Amino acid sequence: MRTPFCFLLTSILLVGQMRGAEQRQNAEKAPKTDLATLLGVQNDVQKLLPQVRPALVAIQTGGGTASGVIISADGLLLTAAHVPGGPGKDMRVILEDGSVTTAKSLGLDKATDAALAQLKKREKPWPFVKLSREVIKAQPGEWCFALGHPGGFDKSRGPVLRVGKIIKQTANSLHTDCVLMGGDSGGPLFNFTGEVIGIHSQIWENRDQNVHVSMTPFLRSWEAMQKSQVIKIWGVGAGGYLGVATVMSDDVELEVADVIEGSPAQKAGVRAGDVILSVNDDAMTDQQQFTATVRSKAAGDTLKIKLRSSGKERELAVKLAQKPQEDSE
Amino acid sequence: MTNDEIRMTKEAPIPNVESLALNRAGHYSAFELRHSFVIRKFVIRHSACLFLLSSHLALAESPRPTLPPEQRTNGRQTLSAVSPLKPLTLGCTARMESVLGRPICTATIVGADGYLLTKASEVPDLDKARVRFADGRTAALREVHREVRLDLVLAQAVGVTGLRAVSFGAAKPLTLGQWLCSTAEAGREPRIGIVSAQRRRIPGTGAALGIRMDEKTPKEVKGVRIIGIASESPAEIAGLQENDVLLNIAGEAVAQYRRVHELVNKRQPGEIIEVRYLRKDKEETCRVRLASRTKVLQNWEGEDFANGGISLRSDNFPEVLQHDIPLLPTDMGGPVATLEGKIVGINIARVDRVTTFALPVEAFWSEVQKWMQADRHPPKAVLVK
Repeated sequence: MRTPFCFLLTSILLVGQMRGAEQRQNAEKAPKTDLATLLGVQNDVQKLLPQVRPALVAIQTGGGTASGVIISADGLLLTAAHVPGGPGKDMRVILEDGSVTTAKSLGLDKATDAALAQLKKREKPWPFVKLSREVIKAQPGEWCFALGHPGGFDKSRGPVLRVGKIIKQTANSLHTDCVLMGGDSGGPLFNFTGEVIGIHSQIWENRDQNVHVSMTPFLRSWEAMQKSQVIKIWGVGAGGYLGVATVMSDDVELEVADVIEGSPAQKAGVRAGDVILSVNDDAMTDQQQFTATVRSKAAGDTLKIKLRSSGKERELAVKLAQKPQEDSE
Repeated sequence: MTNDEIRMTKEAPIPNVESLALNRAGHYSAFELRHSFVIRKFVIRHSACLFLLSSHLALAESPRPTLPPEQRTNGRQTLSAVSPLKPLTLGCTARMESVLGRPICTATIVGADGYLLTKASEVPDLDKARVRFADGRTAALREVHREVRLDLVLAQAVGVTGLRAVSFGAAKPLTLGQWLCSTAEAGREPRIGIVSAQRRRIPGTGAALGIRMDEKTPKEVKGVRIIGIASESPAEIAGLQENDVLLNIAGEAVAQYRRVHELVNKRQPGEIIEVRYLRKDKEETCRVRLASRTKVLQNWEGEDFANGGISLRSDNFPEVLQHDIPLLPTDMGGPVATLEGKIVGINIARVDRVTTFALPVEAFWSEVQKWMQADRHPPKAVLVK
């Protein structure tokens, strides 16, 4: 799960510089918000809520609880790929009124965390919302609102609403300050016409760091997902597995940010904060090079890693393992 | 992150979190279910995040147009909308701090003559706290009334007058999605959010230490052995460790894990108890500040890293308003206002990343007024003939 981000970030960096400058200029001109604006936002959200709420569902799988949203009368459901984990998975679905049904996962895009599922057929049409086909409109500064079942379905609490702003749009995701947590995964982010613009996917530590899958991957891979295909750009299981996350330190050195519990790296004694100097005597200078080097070896191969820990250099031999599969429930 | 590890983290708390056997069917399964996802999201993605977080230098170059912090929902420019409310919110708020000046929680001023309301479980001992007003004045506190049921304490700042007291409105008419305004940074800054879920009662789960105990402590061991400590739990904060043997809990000798659970569970979150234990053949004593069992369970593996901390007591309230204002545990006790500046509640618990509970005004104000009345006009002694 680490490498995709590494790639994503670097590719973005190359194209994004110019627009950043424009944005900063706009920021300085932005007007102050007044009470009327806030009340307008409130009115819009409250008007849309009764229309969109019935399309929100809670999803229970063997692995946990999550959320989803119905986007067609015949019961197509959008959720996050890490919710079913794979195609053909049976999921228990709780509607907003508490009634229970089931759904089966169709295809998913593991690289972007987008997934499609189908609710059990029923005579009555399912309540649904539309999805936004104009992804470009979800620009930074736009108000939006999120629904979901954080922590799982709770009848006395009901669905949880959050109102916030779009902070950033990337190739496949939206970042907002609608605060999310476990159980929200797969739930919908709406624009102010009541269309789905995002599916809750992941969070980082800061409260402004909430990531939603944008409609881009859904629209791009719609047919493949309907055919229950799994889209994996960064194949899980390719190459050897070491189990470290790296960052470029302030001194532009390759530093270990995190070591995954139980990974070959941890067993060999790699610790967060170590600086990676070389692998098999090749000097390591950046993250891509390091990732490529590890990936080019197979599970079972041994790597000779030279590290610097608190000023002292040391060398370790690490036997690579199989990259753990995420979806073997 | 392997499935093995997910399984491990899922199972870790199972053996007996201060005797889950008592409650396994109901609460426990719920806990397990909700957790694996949390763990997945936080742990699996956590390392991914480090990439991006640490690459913020790069982000500062703005790879994509990014909304500057001041324009975000709780950024300076957006908050300027609520600055007219400041006298009605921030102006009626004070900071509760330790005698050394460390912020403890926030207080809502309810009487011009120094009466304050704050979150009781955060200040078990008002003698060890003081209040600091917006103008910089500080004062000692006199406890007037402590109401465990509401987790509120009414206190009076000694020798202080001329304060501005809040003006209470009604919380009943609030609807889902309605804006609310509150105070952060111990009453110094405004924050906004919305009513985010239905009003309801929050049942209690009792208090906990955050330990797993050996169910089959060998006969020759007099006491109960600790086999696991929850991250950032009361036990960990007090310095208890794995393999310590509990000998005495709050004055009672213990030999069975069930008894430890009973003794702890019946107490109130925020209460401090004395624990005597054996470590490497040496008897030692520590004082443990208990937390809600819900909090301990939800945070077993330190999942709380993304939450900015949660309150010691986060459950057992007769009625709460839920909102999404980004606050910290030290902001509890402060007022929650509508955009008209009417105070509709008092923040009572930071629960998780997305949840803050506030006591709605109807749940406490008429009672609090009686306490104040009784304190201002104590009944005169009646001469009995």
